[in-house]
Amino acid sequence: MAYKAPMKRSWWLQHAAFRRYMLREATVLPLVFALCCLLAGLWSLQTSAQFHAWQQFMAQPWVVAFNLLALVGALYHALTFFQLFPRVMPIRLGEKQVPAALMVVAQWLGVVAVLLAMLWLATSGVLGAWQ
Amino acid sequence: MSRFKGLHLEPLWWGLFSAGGVCFAVFLPAVLLVFAVLAPLGVIHLNMNALATAAGSIWGLLFVGAVICLPAFHAAHRIRHGLHDLKLGGGLWSVVLCYGAAALISASALWGWLALTSWF
Repeated sequence: MAYKAPMKRSWWLQHAAFRRYMLREATVLPLVFALCCLLAGLWSLQTSAQFHAWQQFMAQPWVVAFNLLALVGALYHALTFFQLFPRVMPIRLGEKQVPAALMVVAQWLGVVAVLLAMLWLATSGVLGAWQ
Repeated sequence: MSRFKGLHLEPLWWGLFSAGGVCFAVFLPAVLLVFAVLAPLGVIHLNMNALATAAGSIWGLLFVGAVICLPAFHAAHRIRHGLHDLKLGGGLWSVVLCYGAAALISASALWGWLALTSWF
């Protein structure tokens, strides 16, 4: 019978890199909460009473706290994911390799562009306005 | 345990996982900042009628897919493998539970979109 190395459930606590890995994986937990909030918001758009109730739910301090955690989680996921991308899918232009740092910056520019577009939609009168 | 009568489903889960990972990184920060932080804090006032019209359009369908469905499958995949890392679950039930929950969330989101379209 082959020797099987014992592995405890707490294996990931033994090394900082393992802990960072598990933290990265855990960023999806507040994401699931936030997705359910957004789903409820989509359903609430059918009547103004439901939409008002959804807004009141979303304004509760513990809900804002969890959603802030989800926002931080999304940014941490982006940080790690963008560093990964040039290694998984290196891009060549002719003879030259596109520098990894340039690809990381380009991806962050994408995030900023989406952020500005969303902010413009929500504040210019299209979907909403500054309070 | 992703085999179903010789059918390998892992490429499907991995495809949804990576597509959801891109959406999670690119779209979720903006959406969460606007709808889950700035609007609830009263910084932004949302116009419900405009939101309902926009959500019921073809853009609304793309939004639902990129912001709810794909990230839900991304989360399901990570939770499934996270459970394995913690030596919990494993086997068919965690597959059914994780992807089943993601499928339920997605179906509910698509139904919610359909209910907002003019032809329902």
